[in-house]
Amino acid sequence: MAKSMKLAGLKSVENAHDESVWTATWVPATGSRPPLLLTGSLDETVKVWRPDELDLVRTNTGHCLGVVSVAAHPSGVIAASAALDSFVRVFDVDTNATIATLESPPSEVWQMQFDPKGSTLAVAGGGSASIKLWDTATWRLVATLSIPRPEGSKPSDKSGSKKFVLSVAWSPDGRRLACGSMDGTISVFDVARAKFLHHLEGHYMPVRSLVFSPEHDSRKLYSASDDGHVHIHDVEGKAIIGAMSGHTGWVLSVDVSPDGEAIATGSSDKTVRLWDFKMRAAIQVMSNHTDQVWAVAFRPGGRGGRLASVSDDKSISLYHCS
Amino acid sequence: MACVYIPVQNSEEEVRVALDQLPRDASDILDILKAEQAPLDLWLIIAREYFKQGKVEQFRQILEEGSSPEIDEYYADVRYERIAILNALGAYYSYLGKIETRQREKEEHFILATQYYNKASRIDMHEPSTWVGKGQLLLAKGEVEQAFSAFKIVLEGDRDNVPALLGQACVEFNRGRYADSLELYKRALQVYPNCPGAVRLGIGLCRYKLGQFQKARQAFQRVLELDSENVEALVALAIMDLQANDAAGIQKGMDKMRRAFEIYPYCAMALNYLANHFFFTGQHFLVEQLTETALAVTNHGPTKSHSFYNLARSYHSKGDFEKAGYYYMASIKEINKPQEFVFPYYGLGQVKLKSGDFRTALSNFEKVLEALGHIYVQLGQVDKAQEFMRKATKIDPRDAQAFLDLAELLISSDTGAALDAFKTARNLLEKGGQAVPVEVLNNIGVLHFEREELELALESFNKALGDGVWLALTGNKPKPYVIEASASILDYKDMQVFHRLEEDGLAVELPWNKVTVVFNLARLHEQLHNTGIANILYRLILFKYPDYIDAYLRLAAIAKARNNLQLSIELVNEALKVNDKCPNALSMLGDLELKNDDWVKAKETLRSASDATDGKDSYAVLSLGNWNYFAAIRNEKRNPKLEATHLEKAKELYTRVLVQHTDNLYAANGAAVVLAEKGQFDVSKDIFTQVQEGASGSVFVQMPDVWINLAHIFFAQGNFALAVKMYQNCLRKFYYNTDSQILLYLARTHYEAEQWQECKKTLLRAIHLAPSNYTLRFDAGVAMQKFSTSTLQKEKRTADEVRSTVAELENAVRIFSQLSAASNLHLHGFDEKKINTHVEYCKHLLEAAKVHREAAEREEQQNRQKQEAARQLALAEEARRKAEEQRKYLLERRKQEDEQKRLQQAEEHFKREQWKSSNPGSRRRDRSEIDDEEGGHSEKRRRKGGKRRKKDKNKSRYERDDEEPDMMDDREEMEDEDANRNYGESTTRMNDQDDDNGENAQDLLAAAGLEDSDMEDETAAAPSSAAGRRRRAWSESDDDEPVQRRPESSPVRGNSAELQESDGEIREDNRKPNGGNALDDDED
Repeated sequence: MAKSMKLAGLKSVENAHDESVWTATWVPATGSRPPLLLTGSLDETVKVWRPDELDLVRTNTGHCLGVVSVAAHPSGVIAASAALDSFVRVFDVDTNATIATLESPPSEVWQMQFDPKGSTLAVAGGGSASIKLWDTATWRLVATLSIPRPEGSKPSDKSGSKKFVLSVAWSPDGRRLACGSMDGTISVFDVARAKFLHHLEGHYMPVRSLVFSPEHDSRKLYSASDDGHVHIHDVEGKAIIGAMSGHTGWVLSVDVSPDGEAIATGSSDKTVRLWDFKMRAAIQVMSNHTDQVWAVAFRPGGRGGRLASVSDDKSISLYHCS
Repeated sequence: MACVYIPVQNSEEEVRVALDQLPRDASDILDILKAEQAPLDLWLIIAREYFKQGKVEQFRQILEEGSSPEIDEYYADVRYERIAILNALGAYYSYLGKIETRQREKEEHFILATQYYNKASRIDMHEPSTWVGKGQLLLAKGEVEQAFSAFKIVLEGDRDNVPALLGQACVEFNRGRYADSLELYKRALQVYPNCPGAVRLGIGLCRYKLGQFQKARQAFQRVLELDSENVEALVALAIMDLQANDAAGIQKGMDKMRRAFEIYPYCAMALNYLANHFFFTGQHFLVEQLTETALAVTNHGPTKSHSFYNLARSYHSKGDFEKAGYYYMASIKEINKPQEFVFPYYGLGQVKLKSGDFRTALSNFEKVLEALGHIYVQLGQVDKAQEFMRKATKIDPRDAQAFLDLAELLISSDTGAALDAFKTARNLLEKGGQAVPVEVLNNIGVLHFEREELELALESFNKALGDGVWLALTGNKPKPYVIEASASILDYKDMQVFHRLEEDGLAVELPWNKVTVVFNLARLHEQLHNTGIANILYRLILFKYPDYIDAYLRLAAIAKARNNLQLSIELVNEALKVNDKCPNALSMLGDLELKNDDWVKAKETLRSASDATDGKDSYAVLSLGNWNYFAAIRNEKRNPKLEATHLEKAKELYTRVLVQHTDNLYAANGAAVVLAEKGQFDVSKDIFTQVQEGASGSVFVQMPDVWINLAHIFFAQGNFALAVKMYQNCLRKFYYNTDSQILLYLARTHYEAEQWQECKKTLLRAIHLAPSNYTLRFDAGVAMQKFSTSTLQKEKRTADEVRSTVAELENAVRIFSQLSAASNLHLHGFDEKKINTHVEYCKHLLEAAKVHREAAEREEQQNRQKQEAARQLALAEEARRKAEEQRKYLLERRKQEDEQKRLQQAEEHFKREQWKSSNPGSRRRDRSEIDDEEGGHSEKRRRKGGKRRKKDKNKSRYERDDEEPDMMDDREEMEDEDANRNYGESTTRMNDQDDDNGENAQDLLAAAGLEDSDMEDETAAAPSSAAGRRRRAWSESDDDEPVQRRPESSPVRGNSAELQESDGEIREDNRKPNGGNALDDDED
């Protein structure tokens, strides 16, 4: 059996933000600097941190009502942040110059992700029951992938609002997009044809985080739900190929290590858990946070694995993974 | 062959003495030694040789001669050898004393030994070997503490003195300090690795006592490698084998015992164990022989007691009560404390009972009970101890069984004590070499479970289950079955896994007596959030026992917890197929129907649940009570009469449960809610507090509702700080801070306490948790609007405050605009017009605020300039003028200032014209508006409003079902209180409200001077019908919004349903296994 990954605490920053930290992502390295960590908080700021000491590089302001999501372009040059005010701000990571401000009322914005090639930004559109696709060259809205209403429902049917889209994930080959909703369903789209394919069922509570396994032709999708479970889906076969339980609260965030072997989750039960795909079981539980863990993120790229977690307790933790 | 050479005096010659050819008569050699005045070490060597050859008499003769007064005189300056001879004699007599069984002779030997050692000490009191000898002697006499001092003296001089180390190790062992003892043995071994096997024996015994059985076993085995005939090691290993408690172990153990017996037939311990064994095999003549031998060779009290007991037991079983009684008595005589070995007391008691000597029997049973009582006294439960002693005297006590009875007795009242009793029983059984019944282990597991000692519970369940198919399903190694099982958690009918197991040659067997254990194990895994494993175990039960209703219900509960209502209902229906009257299943179904918003069906189902138990099932009655309660709230606005009826019915039902079960927390909570509903806060607060206390401390009772209810009461009584704390604690304690509904209550409290920023932050958190709840957004908008209004209304405000007001208003405008845009898409139930009114209002306010901001900034600027001017003036003046001139200057300045002020006031007045007329005015008008609105019966309405408010605070929340209606209440009531507080309108999201609102807003706009106010009349007129409209709105909303409302409505209630269920299950399980009453013990 292959050796399992292990986490070891490297550095924690207490009071990294003035309020709950709600989101985090890694900005890939560029020619001139190493990868950076990006965090967003209820305190309406986005902060940029340099590992491993987690030195604060910059504090970006400009959002209102709490930052719910951050995403980094694969080039590492630009990044996007989104807040409860439903604006998406696209900015230059190194200069903080605003590149674009996106909105598509009345659609809210939740999780965002750049496609692997970096040509499109997908934004979970909340109550609009759709994913908004923005072209990263022109910053124009190029497509809206809508979840079809269930048959027989009237347009006035309020249950339609249950397909409230919270989370979004690109497949590694950029051909598929998956989005998770408040009612627990996951919808899969064919990006090229802008076509809805099918639902993945199994959760009946909000799916707040989704991530594809990183193998290039991966069909493996991990979903984290308020029902306390992480499901592993075969996106094409519409089947659940595994379920992992153990968190005692909502699973708020899930990420897969760059080698695809380990899965990290953050939960409202205050813990970060590390799971082994092969065993379908938790192999480590980190309990250094004192409140809900809203995001976990593996640093992309090969050398020296790192995992970051952020929490309602206002802190950021960085772990070494080996 | 080894020889010694005795030098011939005054010559070069020596006499050669071959050690293996020592003369039989020691006198011969003594003569030579004396004649030749041989060195004393030769005496010792020869004596020792005699000893080795077993010629003890000769040994003694030589040494006694060698320590005689003449020798002392002659060899006066030869100190060490003389000491060595004395010590050898001391050791010899110590040994004799130690093995002597007759007390008088024993003492005589010890006295002699003491004398020799004392003599040695007189020669040199620092000689370590003497001290070691003395220590050994003291140890043999049982004077452990003095022995400790003796060895200590040696070790202080030389910490590596091996004999002293061993002695001290022995002392520590006798003192029960096994870890210390182990350390000493280890050190001895380090210093002198070639120690005899006995040292390792000590290590083995220490390890054994420390519970390190594997290492102990290794140590004993090493002893046997060094000395294959070491009886102690053999016996120790044999005992460990016997304790394995299975046939193979017992076989191995008895083989070793037999070998030990063959090597040395006088080891009392081995004899006792052998006797014990033959007692069970029924070979009583052997028992008698063995124990008689054992008795002859040992002096050790406990061992003797055991032997007598064996003997007595043997006669007892043969029916020879007289002899049995005699030996039981003998056994008892050897016992210091009954609690160390209670069996003979039982035996004697039984024998006496047989012979009709009740008094003696009683006194013996009392002894046994004393032993039990002793344990309870140690637990600090004196009354329990006494109670049990009394009870147990009436029954026929049979050791382990008595503990089991006791344990069961205690299960309902004191789980901790019950657990201890079970454990004691288990230990007794294990010690007695019997298999511990599955039921006992199961009960121990359940009790651990109840005490939240989940790891221990798991251990016990696993032990109870032993080997079986479940291992393939629960292992945490990557087994294909586990993975397959985890993939199929959504399909309870999927039994493929089991068929696969069977194909793979694994027997899918589930013995009937282990079903309960498997169920409990599954329940435990559920608690540990290993849902997958729990799921597969329940399915295993159903695979083998398709009628096991509880397994269906637990699967249903798991599905329900994950909000998979469809599956849950399916599973409950499966259970109902097995038994359509099962009250648990019916209750659960009713609950699910409520969750699905099927009120009428739910009521029917709940009623049939209640009927199925003749109204004796608390849960069913409670559910009906809740149903009535919710119905009352629901109908509040529609029909007050109906409301009263429902409330009364609810109260009656809660009370009925309370009469049957005075300690039913849920019923108490419900009753308190009804009381609060009627405005009796003090009483309900007391009850809630008691319920809260009662609910803490059990893993199966989780009642966040009562916390919320208490918080509601604090809120209703205006104690906002406490309410906030209570809500926050509840959130943290029960919900990991994830419940957006409680966050809403919290925000509402902040709002009332005018803590706008906290209110807003709380709402933002709630939005983040429940993004699709647009009501929260609306409320956030209102909070920001309110914050702005209140800032602008303040008499004094800084430019910073005004600036943040502007920012806040911009946010509010954005939120309302988005809501307005979204309303086109029917994303939420708000009326577009109403929201637009908010948007307009905020926009206007924003414009006003901007003006204010400029004004404030200007003012700030001016103030700054003014201050600067004043400062410079003062400076210049001070430099220029003297003190007497100052007064004059002051006058002048005041004049200047007055002028400036007047100017400024004029300016401000001008600027504020509009606002001024509006703000204070608007407030006033609002008030009058309310008065208008409520007209003649304003007071009455107020009261009603107030009451309603209280209600919704306390409201229910009985299991927090009525959240949504509550929210509505909140809102409306706020409106009642202050039309200006638009905070809540949202929820009601009804058409009527926007009129209302519109009016308010327009009114405000008018007041703000931003709009012509010719709407006054309408304003005055409209409110009169507001109440009616509101009512209408209620009904509308009821029909419109069911889906939004109910989904949230039952999680907690669902929970408690499960909790009760699980509670029930566990108890049931408790009862079940013990009913089997499987224990029979050998001791009678």
